[in-house]
Amino acid sequence: MDKVMKANKKIEKGVVGTYKFTEKTAVGAYKSIESQFRGQSPEGQLADILMYGVLIIVMLVALIPMWHTLMASLSEGQQLIAHDGIAWLWVTPDGKPHFEGYEKTFSYGDFAILKSYVITLLYVVGNVVFGLIINVIGAYVIYRQPKLAGLLMMIVVFTLLFSGGMIPTYMVIKDLGMTGTPWSLIIPGCSNAMFMILVLNGFKQVPVSTVESSELDGAGHFTVMFKILLPQAKGLTIVTMINTAILAWNSWFEASIYVPQNRELWPIQLWIKQIVGDNASTLTTAVVDWNRYLVAYCVILIATLPVLAAMPFVQKQLQKGALLGAVKE
Amino acid sequence: MTWKRDFKRNGVLYLIFLIPLSYYVIFKYVPMVGLLMAFQNYRVSRGLWGSQWVGFDNFVELFTGEQFLTAVRNTCAMALLNLTIGFIAPILLGLLVCQLRSKRFSRLVQTVTYMPYFVSAVVCCSLAQEFLRDTGAITQFLSLFGFAKQNWLANNSPTFWFINTFLGIWQGAGYSAIIYIAGIHGINQELYEAAQMDGANRWNQLLHITITGITPIIIMMFTLQIGLVFVTGFDKVLLMYMPSTYEHSDVLLTYTYRMGFGSSNSFGLSTASGLLQSVIGTALLLIGNMLSKKATKQSMF
Repeated sequence: MDKVMKANKKIEKGVVGTYKFTEKTAVGAYKSIESQFRGQSPEGQLADILMYGVLIIVMLVALIPMWHTLMASLSEGQQLIAHDGIAWLWVTPDGKPHFEGYEKTFSYGDFAILKSYVITLLYVVGNVVFGLIINVIGAYVIYRQPKLAGLLMMIVVFTLLFSGGMIPTYMVIKDLGMTGTPWSLIIPGCSNAMFMILVLNGFKQVPVSTVESSELDGAGHFTVMFKILLPQAKGLTIVTMINTAILAWNSWFEASIYVPQNRELWPIQLWIKQIVGDNASTLTTAVVDWNRYLVAYCVILIATLPVLAAMPFVQKQLQKGALLGAVKE
Repeated sequence: MTWKRDFKRNGVLYLIFLIPLSYYVIFKYVPMVGLLMAFQNYRVSRGLWGSQWVGFDNFVELFTGEQFLTAVRNTCAMALLNLTIGFIAPILLGLLVCQLRSKRFSRLVQTVTYMPYFVSAVVCCSLAQEFLRDTGAITQFLSLFGFAKQNWLANNSPTFWFINTFLGIWQGAGYSAIIYIAGIHGINQELYEAAQMDGANRWNQLLHITITGITPIIIMMFTLQIGLVFVTGFDKVLLMYMPSTYEHSDVLLTYTYRMGFGSSNSFGLSTASGLLQSVIGTALLLIGNMLSKKATKQSMF
């Protein structure tokens, strides 16, 4: 645990972490980069130049795909298809960004994308809420160490080791009558042993004395759980919530097997898969709807931007979770 | 404490544990019972208790069928690439980032490389399709080096393995690098000062202090990876493969998927394949866990 604490301090100090844009950024960046080269031997300077070069290329590789998508979504369909390679800027006849793609996306398939957006949000909230209930209650019971705690822990941990797999799980969900309903995308995937253990680790960091003293004051289980433990173990609990939310937002496979026929229940990612897949055949039809081709880019952006926009807020929390998840004694 | 007193005192705890317990029993343990389908000629109409028992027939069919063995080979190839190139990439990134004296630039690199972690598998593979098709940016770039302009994802060759690994790196390297970066920052700075006094240059410092310093973390991450290597990246394969490339793109999980949900609907065969995979996965997890315990005294279980 010691290593984790140290690493967490590094994150808090900002050694590891988010880049913040300030008005001094450009000047500061230049100065600090310059300091790298000062007082170095020629070989050292060469190594530095190589290093910066490699890292700049790495950043470009990370960024260009999304940039290309953004620019493609603002382009004009027919020209974009004729355009080869990366769209560095929107590809339009008049040199201005076009928004036909977004208009088409908005009304696509009787507002399917819009509806899917809403239902995906519902899945996210559902997963987070039910996951939270299961993880917190499970972690709390094991934390209180009743006589059977060891057995309960084993029941939970064993699911990390072994699983029934795709078909048997599908059969269970089908037999429960969940297929074809939103529940199949909310309940089965909302929790897992890893997350419960993460919450448990959070509880274990709370000093025992606080729990004991509040119990002497007559606090019951629920008071201890909600008023003492959860507020103090907030960090790790939030990590599990963020992870559950991202998993739910990005999930598509479950929907493709549990609600394949119910398009009104499709999450946004499954629509992306469908629309991108359709694009290949769009071009072979007799009368091509060029704007229809742009929908793929627009919907990718609409589905990805909220997550990327939330990133600065969740990055620190997640990094702590990454360290805690990996380093456990 | 006697059992009686335990139940009296902790009865409420056991009662509320029924909520998580029912979740685990219904969605994790009941499917394990369903694994019995692997030994049946399963018919949906007859159910688990009415279907005909066929012993190990499904497994015999798996091992005599060419498709399954191809899937095994591809799974192993991709696992190997993920454990080598895919494993080294975040370490290199972490080492490079920590060589930077500019804190701002270092954070910029970390944030930018961390970003693709939030991009979904569907989007990630859609982008791959866009960039790798015959007029795509990567195809154009590669044609400068004499490669034919083609849809690389339709290329039925081991190229697919590398594309899959590269996508994994693109998505996860920035995220995985965090733990190494934190580890490098945890190294005692006095070691570097002492080394400078002894006249060690940067390369020697990197080799003997930095890399030596994070070796325990590297070993731990590696052993954890061994356990997960068969499950990671499956949905990306499912999103990118096509019948014409099955020979090099089909993996165990996609094979299991196709047998179960494809036109053949061979639930028994699919479950058998899934069971084998679960067993291998469990074995790998235990092996990795044991190695980790031995080498670093840290483990998952």
